[in-house]
Amino acid sequence: MTGNHVIGELLLFLKQDCETCQLVRPVVGDLVKKGVAIQVYVQDDPTYFKDLTPLDDTSLKASFEWNIESTPTLIQTSGNGHSVRIEGWDKSGWRKIFQRKSLGSTLPDFKPGCGSKSREPGVYEHLVARYGDPGIAARKVELHKWEDEMETCFERGWTDGLPVTPPTDARIWKMLQGAGRNPDEIIGKVPPNLAPITVEKVAINAVLAGCKPAYFPVVLTALEAALDPIFTMHGLLCTTCFSSPIVIVNGPITKSIGMNWGMNALGQGNRANATIGRALQLIIRNVGGGIPGDLDRSTLGGPGKLTFCFAEDETDPTWEPLSVSRGFVEGENTVTLFQGDGIQGFIDQRSQTPEQITKSLASALLAVGHPKLAEFTNALLVLSPEHYEIYKREGWDRRKITNELHKEMIRPGSDLVQGANGIGEGIDKSRANEMVNKFWPEGLLIVRAGGQAGLFSAICAGWTGGRFRHESIPVTKKIRL
Amino acid sequence: MTTSVLRDPTAEIAALKRQRLNPPTDLDGKVVALMDIGKMRGDEFIDRLEQLFEERGIATKRYKKPTNTRTAPSEMIQQIVRETDVVVVALSDCGSCTSCSTHDLNDLDQLGIPGVSILTDEFREAFSGQCEKIGFDGASIFTPHPMQNKTTEELHEFADSVMEEILTKITHTNLN
Repeated sequence: MTGNHVIGELLLFLKQDCETCQLVRPVVGDLVKKGVAIQVYVQDDPTYFKDLTPLDDTSLKASFEWNIESTPTLIQTSGNGHSVRIEGWDKSGWRKIFQRKSLGSTLPDFKPGCGSKSREPGVYEHLVARYGDPGIAARKVELHKWEDEMETCFERGWTDGLPVTPPTDARIWKMLQGAGRNPDEIIGKVPPNLAPITVEKVAINAVLAGCKPAYFPVVLTALEAALDPIFTMHGLLCTTCFSSPIVIVNGPITKSIGMNWGMNALGQGNRANATIGRALQLIIRNVGGGIPGDLDRSTLGGPGKLTFCFAEDETDPTWEPLSVSRGFVEGENTVTLFQGDGIQGFIDQRSQTPEQITKSLASALLAVGHPKLAEFTNALLVLSPEHYEIYKREGWDRRKITNELHKEMIRPGSDLVQGANGIGEGIDKSRANEMVNKFWPEGLLIVRAGGQAGLFSAICAGWTGGRFRHESIPVTKKIRL
Repeated sequence: MTTSVLRDPTAEIAALKRQRLNPPTDLDGKVVALMDIGKMRGDEFIDRLEQLFEERGIATKRYKKPTNTRTAPSEMIQQIVRETDVVVVALSDCGSCTSCSTHDLNDLDQLGIPGVSILTDEFREAFSGQCEKIGFDGASIFTPHPMQNKTTEELHEFADSVMEEILTKITHTNLN
């Protein structure tokens, strides 16, 4: 910014709450007394610097426009946009600018300054929204004087039934900084309306959901996975079944953004888990138009339709992470989306050997969807640390556990056909003489998560769309950082 | 308090205003709530509407707000939701009635009771302005203004003249 300033003009940004600013005050005071033209801006308490005839910059407008990073900052303007700028106290630099050889002779040669108030956490995005150009293209919704922001979000139909964070420019701009992607970039078309979605719209919905900017890359990846045609988000949304995307995050990002894979991993209380899953659901609602009772035709729905997102516990080196089992490199950050329902608790406090716990888990997994259905849905098994410990003691790894579980779930078709055992539901009668698998070979996903104590694991039934083996499958995507 | 601006999280393929609920396709077996907003003389207008519905064999129930200057008490809103299927809100001929009755129409709509608001001509803009502010695409019907200085007979004639439009708007979608 050089607009209203004469070339060679001197500007100085100070704040009272800064030792270096206090140090330079008498130096600047002498200069002012001697008639040196210097415009002082004060960020906090102009009265403290009143002998410098300062401008009140408690609004931080000038500090923002001059992009001040620290105080004191001395600027000598120039016509070509390359003004001279000195941050902190630098005796020789100041002497050169003021052309006074004895300036500040009692002061040390250097003293670093303090952070500018315009750069304090939670401030800068508001200055961008107020004095800058946040570059947000979405339609404005102007609230009248007495309108309650939270209630407006409900009234406009933007929420899942719980309160959302009102999407202001400051919040959206800050969210966008979390991923460094072009806000105009189109991620894909969101069902059921197949409306194109930009990175900016994802950010707005991530704000609504309560995400921190650091979660934003995960939200974007979750959406990319959901919009992969093979994930069949369209069908999953409109289905009369219970299912919705279950989001499983792998890699070091889970730790760096504070996700939960331990106690209560599938439950409430962790902001990252709760809001990443919720952001995806809000996008489907707000951008896709997937409104319950409208095009979301779920008979009963399920709590996972609010949010269902967690991280895998990768702290045990003997356990191969889900992402690695799905072809990604260890240490890569990924999001896996599984089309699934809420949890069916699995309790086994008696099994002591891998063989026993396998039989036991298989018996519970056979109930997924319906005990007499087979190759009809996939399943997600969330294996708790104590249950895994039984396997680990005997050296069973992911591959062996998965294979042995599948073997335990092969049953004679005659027991499963429609009408067998007096139950109408079942597999096609033509399969009566086959031995039948419960799941497709790739249809059982195992994730390790949960608190250290408790011989309890969880089974999430997959969506019925999974019966079309190659038409609807879980999707894993690498997170772009 | 300053005016604030939020950004639309939707695909922006629909109007900013929330569409009102689809009303039933007919009124067979349905109960129409006649909601008197509590403004003077409105009851005379509604008396006639009640007769007109009765003549057509359509069941009605009457409700009366304690004052036109506030939104309806939540007990009344809940009672209407429990007891009826569609609502006719009448008769707004002032600023506060219009603002409050538009909120009532919106509140009922959000609880599953579609309806229409009847106002006098002067409040056409106030109604659409209030709808705009709360993001609701409410249905309305207008009668001549002023109505306070009219005879009962004249008010009944107003009611007669809008009856068909009322029936249309509480049984057809997108006729606001």
